[in-house]
Amino acid sequence: MASIVRPSLLRQACSAAPTARMLSTRASINASQRIAQPSFVRSAVPTPMKAAAFHASAKRAILPPGPQHVEGTANDPVPVPPAEPTHGSYHWTFERILAAGLIPLTVAPFAAGTQHPVLDATLCASLLIHSHIGFDSMVIDYIPKKRFPKSRALFTWGLRAGTVVVAIGLYEFETNDVGLTEAIKRVWTA
Amino acid sequence: MLAQRIAQQSLRRMAVQRPLATSMAKFASPAAIATNQFIQTRPVATQNMKPNEAYNILVEQRKHRPVSPHLGIYQPQITWYGSALNRITGAICSGGLYVFGAAYLVAPLIGWHLESASLAAAFGSLPLIAKVLIKSSLAFPFTYHCVNGIRHLVWDFGKWFTNKQIQVSGWAAFAVSGLSTAYLALAW
Repeated sequence: MASIVRPSLLRQACSAAPTARMLSTRASINASQRIAQPSFVRSAVPTPMKAAAFHASAKRAILPPGPQHVEGTANDPVPVPPAEPTHGSYHWTFERILAAGLIPLTVAPFAAGTQHPVLDATLCASLLIHSHIGFDSMVIDYIPKKRFPKSRALFTWGLRAGTVVVAIGLYEFETNDVGLTEAIKRVWTA
Repeated sequence: MLAQRIAQQSLRRMAVQRPLATSMAKFASPAAIATNQFIQTRPVATQNMKPNEAYNILVEQRKHRPVSPHLGIYQPQITWYGSALNRITGAICSGGLYVFGAAYLVAPLIGWHLESASLAAAFGSLPLIAKVLIKSSLAFPFTYHCVNGIRHLVWDFGKWFTNKQIQVSGWAAFAVSGLSTAYLALAW
């Protein structure tokens, strides 16, 4: 600090006016001893209010922040979730292989007709697993576990139960009725 | 450096109180400080808190943070509109499948008739315009999701991944899906 070498600097600093940003202390100032304002004066209107003068409508967040969760203290970094290949790269690979397999399964009823129960059953099963993975991705994306633990558990298990129910329903439809592709064809051309 | 700063600030406070005294003396004597007129006081009240109460205050405070505008201000582009539409159409198709599967299972308990013959008869009795509208509103999600799914698989091989190619393929997917919907709804 320069004030070590030049004591006159320290004297100037001592006689300078205390600024408003210093720690608030109970210091009594006589009216006669009050120091004049510095020549630079801050405007009475703060900057956010100046910006708000340009806004034509009220500020409304599309999605207001939901419940917040802080891991540890405010000074700890956000923990990185542990990496597991079953939920990571294996899941991704399985999802893409299934999606690629759905392409010929979807084209086949248009090409070879709708009267093939094994093909139909394979298509139904693949569609069901594909739908389950898709809905699961939506649940994971929109319901974070740390902020909505109960809703996340509810939707995860609700989706699993729904998939089982639909699997039974499609099996019944396949067995007792004509099958998914044939039914769609009959309704479509009705 | 910090020590000099603190010394400077305390000297400033003393200059506020007794300017004549400090202009003559560079340092306040220990005796002067002992007279209790240079002690700084802070009129702030504190209270004891348990850690979980402090946590709750932090959580409440975080809800008042301003939310950075996102969906309301981002320029509409075929890239992210296409991605959102892919998810929405997938949810529509899968949601329909789930609803039908569950409804078919519980239909006998409620008294509904959801066999293919009943559905075909009910659909056939609708006016033509209703049939075309229903068919196109079912065909478009299906065809768009299929075409966009192929686009996604192409990206997974690393192809067509520049911004320009994604925009062109996005519009192409939309067009192919529209034409397929028209064909499926009108020609069948």
